[in-house]
Amino acid sequence: MTAAVPNDTAVTTTAEQRRSYLQFDMLIIPLVVLLFMGIFSFHFALLVGDWDYWIDWRDRRWWPLVTPLAITVLPAVFGYLLWDKLRLPLGGTLTIFCLSLAAWISRYLNFHLLANFPMDMVFPSSYVGLGLLLDCMLLLTRSWFFTGLIGAFLVGLLIYPMNWPILAQYHVPVEMDGILMTVADVFGFEYVRTSIPEYLRIIEQSTLRTFGEAVTPLTAVFAGFINIINYWFWIWIGSLGVKAIWIRKIV
Amino acid sequence: MRFSAVLALIFLVLSVLIPSLAEAHGERAQQPALRMRTVEWFDVSVSTKQLQVNDILVVKGSFVPSNYWPEHVHSIEGASYLNIGVPGPTFVRLDSRINGTPGIRSTAFHKGELYNFEITLKARKPGKYHIHPLINVESAGPVIGPGIWVEVTGSEAQFTNTAKTLLGQTVDMEHYNFGHTVAWSALWMLIAAAWIVYWLFSRRPLIVPRFKRVSELGQDADAILTPTDRRLGLLFLIITLSVTMGGYLYANDRWPITTPLQTGKVHTPPAVQAPMPLEVTMGEARYRIPGRSFRIELTVSNKSDRPLSIGEFSAGNLRFINSKVLDIKPTDEDDLVAPDALRVEGSPIPAGETRKLVIYADDAMWETQRMTTMIASPDAVIAGMLFFYDDQGKRYYAEIGGPMIPVFG
Ligand SMILES: [Cu+2]
Repeated sequence: MTAAVPNDTAVTTTAEQRRSYLQFDMLIIPLVVLLFMGIFSFHFALLVGDWDYWIDWRDRRWWPLVTPLAITVLPAVFGYLLWDKLRLPLGGTLTIFCLSLAAWISRYLNFHLLANFPMDMVFPSSYVGLGLLLDCMLLLTRSWFFTGLIGAFLVGLLIYPMNWPILAQYHVPVEMDGILMTVADVFGFEYVRTSIPEYLRIIEQSTLRTFGEAVTPLTAVFAGFINIINYWFWIWIGSLGVKAIWIRKIV
Repeated sequence: MRFSAVLALIFLVLSVLIPSLAEAHGERAQQPALRMRTVEWFDVSVSTKQLQVNDILVVKGSFVPSNYWPEHVHSIEGASYLNIGVPGPTFVRLDSRINGTPGIRSTAFHKGELYNFEITLKARKPGKYHIHPLINVESAGPVIGPGIWVEVTGSEAQFTNTAKTLLGQTVDMEHYNFGHTVAWSALWMLIAAAWIVYWLFSRRPLIVPRFKRVSELGQDADAILTPTDRRLGLLFLIITLSVTMGGYLYANDRWPITTPLQTGKVHTPPAVQAPMPLEVTMGEARYRIPGRSFRIELTVSNKSDRPLSIGEFSAGNLRFINSKVLDIKPTDEDDLVAPDALRVEGSPIPAGETRKLVIYADDAMWETQRMTTMIASPDAVIAGMLFFYDDQGKRYYAEIGGPMIPVFG
């Protein structure tokens, strides 16, 4: 089962070696989790930010386009490393799981306890299923090409339906001062954000409005197609990263 | 050692997550020129200064966007939004009106026009708050109005806030279906956790042996994957797709009627201003730094049929009162009212006459409110609002503005 014991190390017995390998796991895995939480939170705050912080920003045009493109980056880069070096289909699920964990902690501590926003206005969306799509597809096809073509496409396509069970309730119409609003819009108006005036919300502003009813599916398919290229690009970056590390080790 | 490293990492993670919820309280931080030449606020008041959680607070007032709006600052005539400077949602805003138009959407305000606003707030969290009306101007930032201290007592836990949907349901804004949201999010996290646990913890030790094996296999590394691995891959793919589809159908069934998020820009008609029977032009304006004294020469034509006196000069939210005409006291320790700081030479102006006047606005407020840094401005122009009163107490106002010369000795 275990690899042959090398003679020239201090580790002499298989049992001792096994113990040191286990210790290595127990040290590295939590560190990787913390690392993913930190890096991904930073990356996501930078690229998605308000679109994910506030319930009244998760529209059907920009949020489902920006989010899959941003959320695919680290699963691709770290996914390459984990698959290439360890044959672990975990890049998607593990990174997005860490992101979600960090997001829940941050929304609770910073947005709810510190800044007083009610949790039902600032909770994070559900993205971890997108990571599962990428990982399962990679495991089943064992091909970057097909994982991109099918998996990354599904990520763009399904981000909206995957979140609809928690978003739909916020899109129920409300009348306020003779103006049509959604429950989410009422949150945005009533819970004062001094630094986020209404005009800053980047939602639903597009010429594609002419497609009328079909906005959501159209955005989804569009996001899916762009995300295929996006995934392949970041896989390539991941492969360059792995090579660069290896070259440095050899030199 | 290792523990402190982990702590440091946690700290890093958390610090990265802190949102940018900049507070609006930087009333003194803004450049004086910006404060004087953006929005002239007046008559700002609150309905009460002591209230309980769940009580209503109405903030009222008027503003006139300055005719001297700086060229280099994005105009208030683009996109702007009347907001309220409270530290986060310590209050909820139930209503906001500008000249009767709802202030829910963004709008534009026009220079020289009058806007009367009324913002209805409901106290949510106990505390002492300096409440300011403010206007967010796209690409320019917030223009902050005068602040008033308000104290909220009571218990935060008692706070309630509901909304009624067009379908007749009542929404508890503080905990809207939150159990459902958490359950749904937790379901996804559990599915993902199962996948992660299978791969990370079902074979131990993992990293070193697996890394060695994959390196040995090279091109054939896929051989390390077991049939169970693949079967689980298929199973989790099916679970993911089914939960997604099932959730979508369930949500459509439970909330069949939804509308997209609403946004847009509305037109807010300016208020009809009473005719101002006077004309004011500003002559020389000199600020004497050692005396904290502003001397401004004016030419005033009184076109009314009553004598007019200058009662107040207001600039950048500082109010200089002529005590001979007006009796106004600061409402709290941070109310920027100098009750006896305006001296007027040549007032009152008889009906129908044109006169040259000199006003002196002398007060330490220029210094304490950091207005003196205006001499460091690359564009030394000031503006302010003059309030005139006739002998029956009727008020007129006129904005003045122009270049300012500092006097150093
Ligand atoms: Cu203040």
